[in-house]
Amino acid sequence: MRYEEREVVAQLQRLTVRELRGWVREGWVRPRQGENGPVYDELDIARIQLVCDLKKEMSIGVDMLPVVLSLIDQLHAARRDFRCLAAAVADQPEPNQQAISEAFRKVRNANS
Amino acid sequence: MSDDPYEILGVQRTASDNEIRKAYKKQAKELHPDLHPGDKSKEAAFQALSGAYDLLRDPDKRRRFDAGEIDAAGHEQPQRQYYRDYAGSDPQGRYSYNARSEDFEDFSDIFGDIFGRGSGRRTQSGTFSVDGGDLHFDLEIDFLDAALGAKQKLAFTRGDALEVTIPAGLREGQTLRLRGRGKPGIGGGKPGDALVTVHVRPHPQFSRDGNNIEVELPVSFDEAVLGGRAEVSTISGNVSMTIPSGVSSGHRLRLKGKGIHPKDGKAGDQFVRIRIVLPEKIDEQMRDLAREWREHVNHDPRTKQRRTA
Repeated sequence: MRYEEREVVAQLQRLTVRELRGWVREGWVRPRQGENGPVYDELDIARIQLVCDLKKEMSIGVDMLPVVLSLIDQLHAARRDFRCLAAAVADQPEPNQQAISEAFRKVRNANS
Repeated sequence: MSDDPYEILGVQRTASDNEIRKAYKKQAKELHPDLHPGDKSKEAAFQALSGAYDLLRDPDKRRRFDAGEIDAAGHEQPQRQYYRDYAGSDPQGRYSYNARSEDFEDFSDIFGDIFGRGSGRRTQSGTFSVDGGDLHFDLEIDFLDAALGAKQKLAFTRGDALEVTIPAGLREGQTLRLRGRGKPGIGGGKPGDALVTVHVRPHPQFSRDGNNIEVELPVSFDEAVLGGRAEVSTISGNVSMTIPSGVSSGHRLRLKGKGIHPKDGKAGDQFVRIRIVLPEKIDEQMRDLAREWREHVNHDPRTKQRRTA
């Protein structure tokens, strides 16, 4: 789905157009650019909700917010890579899968 | 789980708006699903918290709830999609961290060595081959081993060992590359290298400047005046050297070629720094001799200092 700026604001009822534009300027929200201005999709809307929660409900200041967002983004990047790794392992023949999971447990126990 | 909004927020029924907001804020930080992408259990708790807060933050709804006109059930939050539900698939990579940063190569700091991100390739026969990653080690060695060269064993917890040849003249922090001693390659890929970073323990006597060695030589007052011979340690054993008559503290004597001799290069020198040391106990006769010396020697070592001051 594609939403325009005012549709997003109307749907969420938690922020003003002005605020949203400010967040886009800061790079906290990164919509695609359409012919008539920015276009938001579900990912962007969920992201805006998150920024609303952090900023409005948890009072995370504008100087801390990029730090928090960056950490969340890094965590998601890490989780994406781990999912790829898990998929790659699941793609292996059974004995290899077992060997990897055994080695994983061993290393983890050794490091904990 | 209780559905009493006061209980969910953990506040008294008499709590002020401010107390309610604080209680919500505190719990939201702990329960927000987007702050715990891997924990599915947080979602329901956060949902309940949001519902409770939504009810109690509105004075009108709160009054009606307190009066028993409405119940909490009607004020559950609609099922909501969290950022984490989408962040896993971000096809354009708009919010993926590495899309914006060049120095953080995503996971390559952990996995790059194994999978050789970008270095994996299809061979002509169509099978996949990847070179093995490098292994990194730190090794601490004695000053003299670094100066003279040595062989050191790097023992691993898994039982095997790697023999490291320390070249003469190795410097602190230098990294040695042992070709082919890293992780094995996959599918015919070349094995990686072992990279051993060597740390040199300081020596109580010797210090080092490139290939030159410096030691301090304590001499007595009479040796400094009369000159003489002294045994001096060098990195390759003791040598006897001449102390010229009239040396002062700080004076540096050179033993040519007695420094570090690297395999391909000229040997450094050893510098012997004189330090005049007086006996711990000074007796009356020494004082008499010094008075006599003073009468005889009209010497002020500080004239230069005074001129510049």
